[in-house]
Formats: sequence, structure tokens, C-alpha cells
Amino acid sequence: MSGFVSVLLAKTLRSRTFKQALIWIAIVGAVIFALLGYVYWSTASYVRGRSDHAIMAELASLQKAYASAGRSGLIATISQRLADQRSKGGVYLLADSSFAPLAGNLADWPSAMKGSSGWGNFNAREGRTLLRATFETLPDGSHLLVGKDVDDLDGFAQKIKVAMALCILWIFVLGGAVGVSITRRTVGRIESINATSRAIMQSGLDQRIPLRGTRDEWDELAANLNSMLDRIEALMVEVKQVTDNVAHDLRTPLAHMRGRLERAYNRQRDGDYDQSLIVDTIADLDGVLRMFSSLTRISQIEASDRTAAFRPVNLVEIASEVVELFDAAAEDKGGRLKIVGGRSVLATGDRDLLFGAVANLVDNAIKHGRDAGQVTVEVKKAYGGAVISVADDGPGIPVDEYQHVFKRFYRLERSRRTPGNGLGLSLVAAVARLHGARIEMLDNLPGLKVQLWFPSPTRSGW
Amino acid sequence: MVGGRCRILVIEDDRETAEQLVEALATNGYEVDLAVDSDDGLSRGRSAEYGVMTIDRMLPGIDGIAIIRRLREEGIVTPALIVSALGEVDDRVRGLRAGGDDYLVKPFAFAELLARVEALARRSDSVVKETVLRAGDLELDLVSRKVSRGGRNIDLLPREFKLLVYLVRNQGQVVPRAMLLQHVWDLHFDPTTNIIDVYVGRVRRKVDAAQAYPLIHTVRGVGFCLRAPC
Repeated sequence: MSGFVSVLLAKTLRSRTFKQALIWIAIVGAVIFALLGYVYWSTASYVRGRSDHAIMAELASLQKAYASAGRSGLIATISQRLADQRSKGGVYLLADSSFAPLAGNLADWPSAMKGSSGWGNFNAREGRTLLRATFETLPDGSHLLVGKDVDDLDGFAQKIKVAMALCILWIFVLGGAVGVSITRRTVGRIESINATSRAIMQSGLDQRIPLRGTRDEWDELAANLNSMLDRIEALMVEVKQVTDNVAHDLRTPLAHMRGRLERAYNRQRDGDYDQSLIVDTIADLDGVLRMFSSLTRISQIEASDRTAAFRPVNLVEIASEVVELFDAAAEDKGGRLKIVGGRSVLATGDRDLLFGAVANLVDNAIKHGRDAGQVTVEVKKAYGGAVISVADDGPGIPVDEYQHVFKRFYRLERSRRTPGNGLGLSLVAAVARLHGARIEMLDNLPGLKVQLWFPSPTRSGW
Repeated sequence: MVGGRCRILVIEDDRETAEQLVEALATNGYEVDLAVDSDDGLSRGRSAEYGVMTIDRMLPGIDGIAIIRRLREEGIVTPALIVSALGEVDDRVRGLRAGGDDYLVKPFAFAELLARVEALARRSDSVVKETVLRAGDLELDLVSRKVSRGGRNIDLLPREFKLLVYLVRNQGQVVPRAMLLQHVWDLHFDPTTNIIDVYVGRVRRKVDAAQAYPLIHTVRGVGFCLRAPC
């Protein structure tokens, strides 16, 4: 189980879905990073702007004091400011022309401030606090510096930076977790499909993909794949059955021929005997070849798309020709064969194939119907399409055999001894499928009625 | 029989089939040339002195139909019988048949091969337009569509008439069932039942009943033959 989980995890990390999730997380992270960066930058510059503005105003008011009361007046104002509680955090320094301090709360002229005026940031010697200040050179050559403690401003910026970093970190952690969990679900479902496929390849078609009952798109996919597997399994069973039947139906005449030839080989040459033996053998071989070509014909009809060669056909005309062809055969059995229904019922199809299909049904009706019976072929329009029905008044077939008689080589117990290879109705079914027609069998009370329902030419299928 | 026996070109790469074909045609009085590959077949086919050629559908590296196309493009109109092991007759062969050629699916009865070769050979002769067909004491009037034998009228259904005309036109020849279905019903499928026999049986009853000699004969395993005693 842990092996399975680690394989699942490895698959999750390799998964395309996960890689895409990572790409998306990176993109979203970058966008959020840019957004927060902008917020940080604009907030910080706004706050700094306000602080600078206040420093400028203070400097201007001190310059005014100097202008009205001279250097001594200015020193008095500075002392007053320093004594005032409200200007806490403010920094003042008046220095003479050689930057020796005269008044203020800084011990030395900061080295960062040079020239005759300008802005600067520096650390006060007595504390670690960050100061921001500006200074001007007064008319008497002394220098006046005004500044502010911007430590809390700096702290604010740091906080924003930390918040940004945490935010980005959370996005990656959460996004990664969500990505892994979604990918894991996907990989898990795909893995269960893969596991079933592998099991099918190894052991056989009896495995199915488990459904989780969530009725989501995954369950739908699994259900579709399962019904596809059902169909394939049914086809495989059918193919196996057909192969077995071919083997059986080929072996019987081949065994006859072999035995006959061996017997002839072991006896004296005899013109008449040999002659009839050769004729019988050729006839048997022809039977085998006929079965062979019926089989290939059915698979060709089933496999190829002959609908491109479809032409408008009159079903009544085709049925009439079949009836005319089989009239003599019905007569031979003392029975009657007739056609009823409309004069012209149109459909699109392949004349040869349709003729073959109807001929097969009529042939069956005559062969398996009652002696001196009545076989009726009816062609009429129905529900926008057309229906051809072939009915006899013979013994019919049991209802539970209806679904079986279209299988290749299937023969009813009582008709085992009549000539035929059990492929006729399979051919009819193949032709019907090709034409999108539905086959229905009914009890004709007495007898059997087989109906071919053709869709209307404008509709494709039922 | 119509005309003298013409020359036939057989293009077939399988040795046993080729031998069988040559022997079957030779014993029926044809002069036969054999080409065992497509180049030989093309060069012989170009000489155009053949009445009929039979061509294997699957020659090494080339489709027999392609050879016929090449010859047709060069103006050689010798009728061709395509011998195919492919089974089902596909649309390409159907198209060719409309152009006067024919096909035969392997394996085949030699009688059927001969019947088809004969039919093609005759097609290459000019067909005389007759209005009355005769076979022994049987007379068919193609205009009034009346049939009589020994002066006695025979009533036939239209399809029965068509069938009898076809048999009389091919009298002395074995007509395979598939050829009958093809020419009388215009159907190209293999009747897996004995339905043609039953149908011909009814025509035979009408034609041969209470007559001095039978005209329509069944050739077991192949088809039918209309033959008047000499």
C-alpha cells in the first residue's frame, strides 16, 4: 500500500496537471508580488513625503525666527522647541560656519550632511534611531539643521515587507497543496483506469474500471469505457464462437472428402465410381467455398462503408423480382408466393445487397414454411420510412430463439438436416445494419413474420 | 459455335494456376500464350493479336487492372477477363466490367472460365443483329416475343423469355449460374441456394415437356447448357 502511495505521489509530481498548476501558482505569485510592491512603494513615499513636508515647514519657521530676531533669537526658539513636549522626536542643530555646534540636541554635526544645504539620513550617535534631516546655511555663515526621527516610518516599511513575504509564502504553500491534492485526485482516477487496462492486457477482458458513484465526468468516462469493454468482450465471444463454428462446419465436409478419396485410393480404379466420387467431391468443395465466400461477404459488408455507393432504389421492384425468382421454388413445394402492398416504396441502398437480403428471407420462408403453404411479401411505407415483411404460415420458431437466429452458423435443431450453412440470416442482419434498418421477428399465428424497417431517407438511423 | 477459336493471352504468375488455365483453354481448341509477369504480359498484350486475355488480379508488385488500364491507354481493346483471388467484386472491377471486360473469382470451375472467355471472344466479333433465334425446332421471335417449338406456342413470362434468349444465344456453351443471374437478372451476387436451378427447371418444363428431345441440360455443379442434337 505504501508502495502504491509513493508511486501515486511520484506520478502526481510528474503529472502534467501538476506542472501546469505550478506554472499558474508562479504567475499568480508574481502578480501579487508586483501588486504588494506597488502598495509598499506608494505608501512609503506618501508617508516620507508628509514627514519631509513637516521638516521643511519647521525649517522655514526657524528661518523666519532668525530673520526677525537674529542668531540669538534663533537659539532661543530652538531651546524653546526642545523644551516643548510636542516636538519630541524632532532634531535641531545650529552650527557655526566651521560646523561647530552652537545649539540643539545633536552633539556633533552629522558627517552625512555636507555642502551648503540638502537632505540626508543618518544615525544619531547616542541611539540607534534613524534620523532624516535637511539643513540650510544662514546669511551669517552658520548652518541650521532640522530633522526628524523616522525610525517608526522605517519600521512600518519593514512590516509591509514582512507581510508581503509571508503573503507570497502562503500563496506558494497553499497553491502547492491545492495543486497536489487536485492533481492527486486526477492521477488517482487515471491510475485506476490505467490499472484496469494493465489488468485487461495481462489477464483478460473480465476486468472493469471501478465507479465511485460521484456521477462526475470521471465516472462518466469510466462508465463509457466499461460499456466499450462490454461490447469488445461480446464481440470476442462472438468471434470465438464463429471460429469454432467455422472449424466445425469446415471439418465435416473436409472429413467426408478425405474419407471418400482415401477409400477410392485403396480400391481398384473404376470409371463410374471414380466419376461420381469426383463429382461429389467437387460439389462438397463448392459448398465449402460458398460458406467461405458468405463469411467474407458478411464481414466485408460489416467492415466496409459501402453507403457511398447507395442509390435510390424502389423496394417494391426489388421485392417483386425476388418473388418472381422464387415463384418457381414455391410452386415446387406446392405452395404460393405473392407480393402485396404499394406500387412504389423508395429507399436509398445497394440493390444487389437488398435483393440478397430479401431473397434470403423468402428462401427461408419457403424452405422452413409448411408444404403447400403461403408466403407473403409485403412492402409498404411506414412512419416516413419503409417496411418489407416476409411471412409464412409454417411452424414458425420459438420466441426465445428470435435473438439467436441472426448469429453466424446458428441453426435451429430441426433444420440441422436441411441444406444451408446458418449464414443466411447473418447476411440479412449485416445488410440491414448497413442500411440502418431494424429487423423484427413476429409470430404470424401460425408461422413467422420477419420485418425489415428502413428509416426515412432523410433520417440517419432510428 | 461462333467463328474459329481465337488466340488467348494468359497473364498469371502462379505456376499451377497457369498450367491449369493453359490446359483447360488448349483442350478446348484455343491457342494460348502464357506471360508469367507483368512486363511480359504488357509486351505481349501490345501485339494486339489476341481475341481475349485473362489477367491475374494480384501480380507481383502490380494490380492486374493497372495492366489493363495501360493497354487501354495505348489503344489496345482486347477484352480482358480478370481472375481475382480477392473474393468480393469491388467497385473498380464493377467499373471495368461496364467497359466490356469481365471478372472471375478464384477458385472457379473451368466450365465457367470457358463460358466467360467464349462470351468475351464473341463480344470482340461483330454481333449479327438477328430477329429470330433458332435451336433445333425451337424458335424465338425477338420482335413479337413469341416462342414456339415444333409449331406449338409456348407461353413464357418476360423473365423466362429473357432467360431462354440468353441460353439460345449461348447454345452449345455451358452457362454458369452466376452468369445467368448477371445477364438475366442484372444481379451480382452468389445465390447460395439452388434457386436458379428451380427457376430454370420451370422453363425447362415449359420448353421440353412432351417433346421429341430435351433442349435444356443441367451441367452438374456449374450451370446449364442449351443444346440441340445434331
